[in-house]
Amino acid sequence: MHLTQDLELFPEYTVTQLLFKDVKNATELRKMAVNGEIKGALINPSMVVDAFQILVAANKAVHLHKSGKMKTRSLYSEIIFSLSPTNNISEAFKRFGISDSDSAVLIVLVHNKDETLNIDNIISKVDGQQITVDRVSDLNDVAKIKKLYKVAPQEEKCGSLLDAVVCRMATKDVA
Amino acid sequence: MAHSDSVKAGVPSYLMDAQQIKQGAEARIYRGTFLGWSVIIKERFPKLYRHPEVDEKLTRRRTTQEVRSILRCRRAGINAPVVYFVDYTTHCIFLEDIIHSVSVRDHIASAQASEQNPQHLQTLADKIGEILAQMHDEDVIHGDLTTSNMLLVSGAEDQNMKLVLIDFGLSYISALPEDKGVDLYVLEKAFLSTHPKTETLFERLLKSYTASSKKSSAVIKKLDEVRLRGRKRSMVG
Repeated sequence: MHLTQDLELFPEYTVTQLLFKDVKNATELRKMAVNGEIKGALINPSMVVDAFQILVAANKAVHLHKSGKMKTRSLYSEIIFSLSPTNNISEAFKRFGISDSDSAVLIVLVHNKDETLNIDNIISKVDGQQITVDRVSDLNDVAKIKKLYKVAPQEEKCGSLLDAVVCRMATKDVA
Repeated sequence: MAHSDSVKAGVPSYLMDAQQIKQGAEARIYRGTFLGWSVIIKERFPKLYRHPEVDEKLTRRRTTQEVRSILRCRRAGINAPVVYFVDYTTHCIFLEDIIHSVSVRDHIASAQASEQNPQHLQTLADKIGEILAQMHDEDVIHGDLTTSNMLLVSGAEDQNMKLVLIDFGLSYISALPEDKGVDLYVLEKAFLSTHPKTETLFERLLKSYTASSKKSSAVIKKLDEVRLRGRKRSMVG
């Protein structure tokens, strides 16, 4: 049910995404992410348009991690930061990370291809129902996404909301 | 996470497998796949004839200007390729691959060769004028306006013609009518030299520009002034 994809630019890494709804232990999960029990990025699905958005963020984060140019302290916090259209780190964590009251969570794992990942271990820690990642559209808030990324109706003449979001993520360091 | 130093990852090794499709003086263009999508990668390679510090600064500036202008155009509803990823260490831009398109240059050339449907080219001129007006109203100066830097996406009907602007490497932000006039002058020179006997077509383009832009009169005035300058021009003031 989880989604695993490769990064062409970094062939030794793989990105796995897991999506959960009706989550009851968001507070615990947050603690586990902070203390390292869960080695992944916990993202708020309401701000996610498509799994591709996560992949683009992960790609950028891995690139910056490898070149020693991350703005945040860890790869996982960098993924969350890369999702944001602004360069304000704490705002990024607030909007894209999960809070204690959230009932849905998207977990992103980045691991070496040769590492065997114990996905079931992670799934067992979540008190919620796992669904396929393509169903993130059931859990997202398009109006909120448009507002945060500042996507005006005229831009939608050029492309999809996903295009607008990805473009901002890619260009925010200079915009 | 363990780092595998023996595997040399990153953009340069990726480019070795990608398909190079063009090389210009400024950059190499590749086509490849990126996270499941077909992309164009624009690599601004180091110029050895330049002083290294100057080269780095200039290349970085060109890359950031290009990316900034693309975003600004898209925000205003002007078609430009989506930027997926920018590598500031190798100065590579990963852009959306506009498939099923033909450059306006090739399109005009084949339309003229087959001598069919002159009305269609009129509509194209109208559309180009409209889009450039929108772009200049956003204060984006393209910097390298030629018919090779405009793509016509196939499939859409005349009225819904989809034109995509590309190659924003020399672009910048400016509100000055002089800069916009020069932008149009560059296009005029490129247009008339690439496509013979198209003076009326270009006039139509300018008419469409004038009608679509809110600030056009100052720009056209500057265009007339710029035309009087330059090479092979009278030195009578």
